[in-house]
Amino acid sequence: MGSVFEKLWRLGPAVFVFKAIIAAIVADGLLLAFIFIRRAYRKRFFAKRDKHVFELRQQWDALISGRLSYDRWREKAFDRRIVEAMALDAFEAAGPAESARLLKFMRASGLIEKRIFEAQRLTGWRRMRALVALGRTRAPEGVPALAEALRDRHVEIRLAALRGLGRTACPQAAEEILAWVGESGLTVPALPLQSALIQCCAERPQLLLPFVKQAEGPLREIMGRVLGEVATPALGMELLQFVGDEREELRAAAARAMSHLDTAMAFDALSELAEDRTWFVRLRAIIGIGNLVDPRAIPTLLKGLSDSNRLVRLRAAEALVHFRAVMVPVFQQVIELRDRYGLHAYLTAIENAGLRERLESQMQSSQIDAEEMRRLQSVLQTGSLPPEEPELAETAANQRESGP
Amino acid sequence: MIRLLEISNQALFWYYLATNLAYLAMLIIALKTSARHHRRLESHRLSWFKDTPMTPPITIITPAHNEEASIRVAIRNLLELDYPQLEIIVVNDGSLDRTLEELRDEFRLRVVRAVYIAEVKSAPVRGLYRSDVDSRLLVVDKEASGSKADAVNAGLNAATSPYVCIVDSDSVLERDALLRIMVPILEDPKRVVAVGGIIRVLNGSEIKNGQLRRVRLPRKSIEAIQVIEYLRAFLIGREAWAQGNMLTIISGAFGLFRTDLVRAVGGYRARSIGEDMDVVARMHRHLREKKADYEIRFVPDPMCWTEVPSDLRSLARQRARWQKGLLGVLWPNRDMLFRPRYGRIGCFALPYLWLFELFAPIMEVVGIATIIVAASLGALSREFFLQFMIFGYAFATVISIGSVLQEEVTYKRYNDWKDVVRLVSYCFFEHFPYRQLHMIWRLQGLWQYLRGDHEWGQLKRKGLVSAQ
Repeated sequence: MGSVFEKLWRLGPAVFVFKAIIAAIVADGLLLAFIFIRRAYRKRFFAKRDKHVFELRQQWDALISGRLSYDRWREKAFDRRIVEAMALDAFEAAGPAESARLLKFMRASGLIEKRIFEAQRLTGWRRMRALVALGRTRAPEGVPALAEALRDRHVEIRLAALRGLGRTACPQAAEEILAWVGESGLTVPALPLQSALIQCCAERPQLLLPFVKQAEGPLREIMGRVLGEVATPALGMELLQFVGDEREELRAAAARAMSHLDTAMAFDALSELAEDRTWFVRLRAIIGIGNLVDPRAIPTLLKGLSDSNRLVRLRAAEALVHFRAVMVPVFQQVIELRDRYGLHAYLTAIENAGLRERLESQMQSSQIDAEEMRRLQSVLQTGSLPPEEPELAETAANQRESGP
Repeated sequence: MIRLLEISNQALFWYYLATNLAYLAMLIIALKTSARHHRRLESHRLSWFKDTPMTPPITIITPAHNEEASIRVAIRNLLELDYPQLEIIVVNDGSLDRTLEELRDEFRLRVVRAVYIAEVKSAPVRGLYRSDVDSRLLVVDKEASGSKADAVNAGLNAATSPYVCIVDSDSVLERDALLRIMVPILEDPKRVVAVGGIIRVLNGSEIKNGQLRRVRLPRKSIEAIQVIEYLRAFLIGREAWAQGNMLTIISGAFGLFRTDLVRAVGGYRARSIGEDMDVVARMHRHLREKKADYEIRFVPDPMCWTEVPSDLRSLARQRARWQKGLLGVLWPNRDMLFRPRYGRIGCFALPYLWLFELFAPIMEVVGIATIIVAASLGALSREFFLQFMIFGYAFATVISIGSVLQEEVTYKRYNDWKDVVRLVSYCFFEHFPYRQLHMIWRLQGLWQYLRGDHEWGQLKRKGLVSAQ
């Protein structure tokens, strides 16, 4: 009786196995050759690049000012890529004067025109690269090409265009993005869109307002979040209309934005939002009201300290710690809450801010009686609530029963 | 008897072919995916993520048990990570050595009453400390529990950020690792619930002040072979599985999770041996049952460098433990198999793990035994057997070299020519006798599990200090 392999052999797989062996050995050889040839090539490439970078860096000022003829490097793709990379990197750290100088150089040397052409004509990842590079130049003339790419059918191209527009950080780019989302809705992930809008709307946040009002669904939430980030005191009255919005994201954004406004305008709205039914709206409101550092906020923050959500409690505690002049009364009120989690959050915030000693010294210098002092010190030392007095306990229980 | 041998030999042939073809398919997917990933990275910069106010805070949880030799270096490394909003929680899991004292001396710890709410189960906490040197550092001192999972749970209870990153205290993260691992979350925060990073072998490399200075291939062959294994597992296996949203493991040494989700599934299971795989499996179950639209992603460039066993005994224990862990996860989740409710996880990923990971050592041992018997009974064509072995060897080598190629074309951390030559040469030598030993260790793991030995066991480590 023949073996299974002999049967397989008769069926034909023997030929397959033989071919497979050859194929596998050839594949091994090809992979090895590729690894080593690539290594050798890269070694040469980087050595050459390093040499050229050094040479160009030596003549950088002459190159930027145009004293060094553009033809000396523009014709060679290798050098052109190096110069462009160096200029774009320089943009990242440049101040206004240097940026203007670099932009002038890029215009005069035709690099921007070249990138605009590539952003319009190339495909795939080359186009993506061109789009981002164009955005990095911050040249306003690049915005139409970038906006055109926003309408591409490939999401990766749209994302690259969005990143490019974000890098320009100019209101024209914001207008293009907003017009595009108005036309086509949300066709990219939310975060790149938000980031781009934040960068572009920072100068003129009011651009967003009509779009926030008109947008619907998730897009409205995104706009709201962006508005929350870029809002300035000048938008005060406009923001108030979002406090009662049905979308929780928008209410949270309004709360976030409110913290940029002056206390008189923001206080009532934030106090209202601090009692919102959605935890992250309350969180934003508590952070916002904490930033105001207004003593009127203390009751709201104390309420936040016994919130059902852990993050709200932590942020309320951090905000309460900012009232350094009235640490003792605040501490007493925290104890009165009789909320173990709230007390822990407050003591943690005191410890983290390194204010424990200050609280102790304020306790020593305050007018409180000896018994109360002992009680406060005991709470501070043990981190636990004092035993409830029967009368107080009864009152508290009655209050709880009569509550909603 | 002969008939039985024939069936066995046939099964082995097809099994071996299927395993290698599966890996070849994964290699092709991985090469394509990582090329795409790199091109995407070209179009944006990490510093942009760092500057955006949308980057969410992260809490790093680092369990430490008897790590006095390396804890200072490890925590210094974490404090130097490039990330805008960071909290670092070191959980001292009842160390019997000077781990806590080392931390106290180096980071000037003081007792604090930080918020600690036991939302997930863990052993009692003895104290909480915050550093005066860097207020981002919180140390949770807890009673020993004998499991890393329990220590992670204690960290989860103290964490205050929406994302937690679990990092082993004997690992070194590259400076931008957190920014890189956050890329998928920043792109799609609603869908992406967890992200795994890549684990690389630290042995042989140079570290200074907690930072990796120079990557070198380890000198010992047992360590160098593990480099290939890690490259194959991460750069091919995980990359490909994640592409189909079927990732069933995020390494315990470096993984990022949405905090509320880990708490929702009850945190890490303290009694689990493969706790990293277990938590991912429970997350899949939880989300699939809720019909949630989610993704668990793998990013190949945020690198975590970790020490691997450098002697056979430790390696044997580690591999036996991994196999125990695998069975410990697959068995309780067997009800997910082939159930449409669990989608591709139940229909592809878990069956693959059962067939090609869990049963692999059994299949190989049975296969080799039957081949020997068949050969001795004359029921085996020697010529064809030899050809089959050559084919198997050459095919498996293609996969290994493929993983080295993947490393070369993408991350290229081994810059020295000699290292690459050695790495490639190990691709040819790992098949004998390392592969057979590995198979035996895995069988031991299965046997230990079935016998009721569900302990983690101790690993001998040199510590980060030795690498400096």
